[in-house]
Amino acid sequence: MPYHEFECSKVIPERKEHAVIKGEGEDLTSCLPKGYLNTIPGTISERGCAYCGAKHVIGTPMKDVIHISHGPVGCTYDTWQTKRYISDNDNFQLKYTFATDVKEKHIVFGAEKLLKQNIIEAFKAFPDTKRMTIYQTCATALIGDDANAIAEEVMEELPDVDIFVCNSPGFGGPSQSGGHHKINIAWINQKVGTLEPEITSDHVINYVGEYNIQGDQEVMQDYFKRMGIQVLSTFTGNGSYDDLRGMHRAHLNVLECARSAEYICDELRDRYGIPRLDIDGFGFKPLADSLRKIGLFFGIEERAEQIIAEETAKWRPQLDWYKARLEGKKVCLWPGGSKLWHWANVIQEEMGVKVVSVYTKFGHQGDMEKGVSRCGEGALAIDDPNELEGLEALDMLKPDVIFTGKRPGEMAKKVGVPYLNAHAYHNGPYKGFEGWVRFARDIYNAVYSPIHQLALRDISKDEIPAGQGFVTRRMLSDTNLPDEITSSPVLSEYTGTYDSVSALRKKTYPEFPRTSATTLKDAA
Amino acid sequence: MAANRKIKNMAERKYEKVYTSDPLASASPETREQIGHLENYIMKNCLWQFNSRGWDRRKQNAGILGQTTQLLCDEEVAITSPLEKCYWVDATLLNRAYRERFPWIMEMPKEDVKALMQLLNARLDWTTIDGSLNLELTVVNY
Repeated sequence: MPYHEFECSKVIPERKEHAVIKGEGEDLTSCLPKGYLNTIPGTISERGCAYCGAKHVIGTPMKDVIHISHGPVGCTYDTWQTKRYISDNDNFQLKYTFATDVKEKHIVFGAEKLLKQNIIEAFKAFPDTKRMTIYQTCATALIGDDANAIAEEVMEELPDVDIFVCNSPGFGGPSQSGGHHKINIAWINQKVGTLEPEITSDHVINYVGEYNIQGDQEVMQDYFKRMGIQVLSTFTGNGSYDDLRGMHRAHLNVLECARSAEYICDELRDRYGIPRLDIDGFGFKPLADSLRKIGLFFGIEERAEQIIAEETAKWRPQLDWYKARLEGKKVCLWPGGSKLWHWANVIQEEMGVKVVSVYTKFGHQGDMEKGVSRCGEGALAIDDPNELEGLEALDMLKPDVIFTGKRPGEMAKKVGVPYLNAHAYHNGPYKGFEGWVRFARDIYNAVYSPIHQLALRDISKDEIPAGQGFVTRRMLSDTNLPDEITSSPVLSEYTGTYDSVSALRKKTYPEFPRTSATTLKDAA
Repeated sequence: MAANRKIKNMAERKYEKVYTSDPLASASPETREQIGHLENYIMKNCLWQFNSRGWDRRKQNAGILGQTTQLLCDEEVAITSPLEKCYWVDATLLNRAYRERFPWIMEMPKEDVKALMQLLNARLDWTTIDGSLNLELTVVNY
């Protein structure tokens, strides 16, 4: 086994089995780090907790819902400033965050009354919102508050409201991934099948594991609508609570982030016979293949091909402009979970960069199987790295840019490595054909940032070229490029707008004649 | 109105290993190279082989590679359920990719194609299930 032992972690010998370097001829039977295990005492993990995974990753992107944390107010920290799962209803779920504000006295005397009071107050404050999710936290779970009983009481008193309770306190798993699991299973057990949806198309999907980061869901939904496909529900970005109660009526589950949402897809397949189709929304070829597959499933492949042709013709020359300038740049894919495998191969194929490392904070061995398979020899794969290991890896690999979260990202900046936000994006959306170009643009801007070049100079010892004036990115990136690239009449920088999403909300779509019954009643 | 939660296929979920060593170990260098190309394409471009549980992987590998074999051999694929249709979708894309990238496969006699694809299925079962180091494959719940 090609384990890699970090110098800084020699005092924590168990860490050795959590990092591997893919060598020549290695495959998954010989090269795979351990994963999804309890954090080893002594290592300062960068993981989130199971409550965070349930609420802040999966629950809260639901848009028409009052999301309440039953616990100390600090547990609601992740909101407007750190999360970017926008919605087409003026971002209600991001703008308003609710907590029961549990304090020491409630730990002694119980907080159930407090919870009920908060629920009633919240519904009164937002009378147009009739749906709610409640999340247990460590403190209220430990004192045994029965959130389900309180929710039942309120639903009896206010018959027009519906409440979902998620029992995923912070200690309920090794990482946020434990929370993903809990809320998947809780949703299908409690809510799926409790409402009959209106079916408006012959082709009906649930779009699962998609969180509308900076508009990703809306970009993909645009393609689906252009194909005449009804997106019955999205689990959960920009998704509606009631739509998600009707997931059992879809013909196909289209799964994007298998890490966070494969559980509900597998259960829907097992319980309702709805097949699961894994797709990649990132990158031209994976996205084109994904649309083709969905088109094939419904017998409407020609509609997918039309979209692929239009989008590729428009955006490929712009992607290639960046590819020419990013060729050979070393990148680290250090996201939370699924993006390491979504991006690992296609970013090398379509942007010309070299992936020198993948890591995952909360991924399982299944994610590493995909990641290790999709990156090349010599790549360093790390499970649940601590900050010192991250720094040591940067020193060893000398990447040109890393894609990661805010905390490790800021740390990387301090050692002179630019970073892009892999979770919430810099200037997303990154899904879709245009989105992939936006990602390439952001990478280019990070790698060739003149201010970054300047920041790397140490005025205490480096020679500062006094005769050199202002430089631009183009001056840095085009120095060694041939004329046919720099003067190409075909290739061009990104031409899209700052906001590529809002216009989609006003768009009208073609109507495709239906061949099946209009409603379920008709079908019966 | 939640559906019945009782697991119906528990025996299938508690599966035994099929392969105890790499099925490619005794293959000729030429066959190993051919399988290497076909396997590498799947690993770099597909996701269906990585369902989270071993019993699902076994079905996925057999279903998709079985149908891909039929398509490569110009045989008709019978689809009787939405689940099989999902296999067919992935098989169709794999069939197209193989024909485009590895034209030598279409020059092989049909029987040789079938034997090669069977070995590819065995190899994929080995790397993703029986020889895999993934400790979660044998968990019986989703």
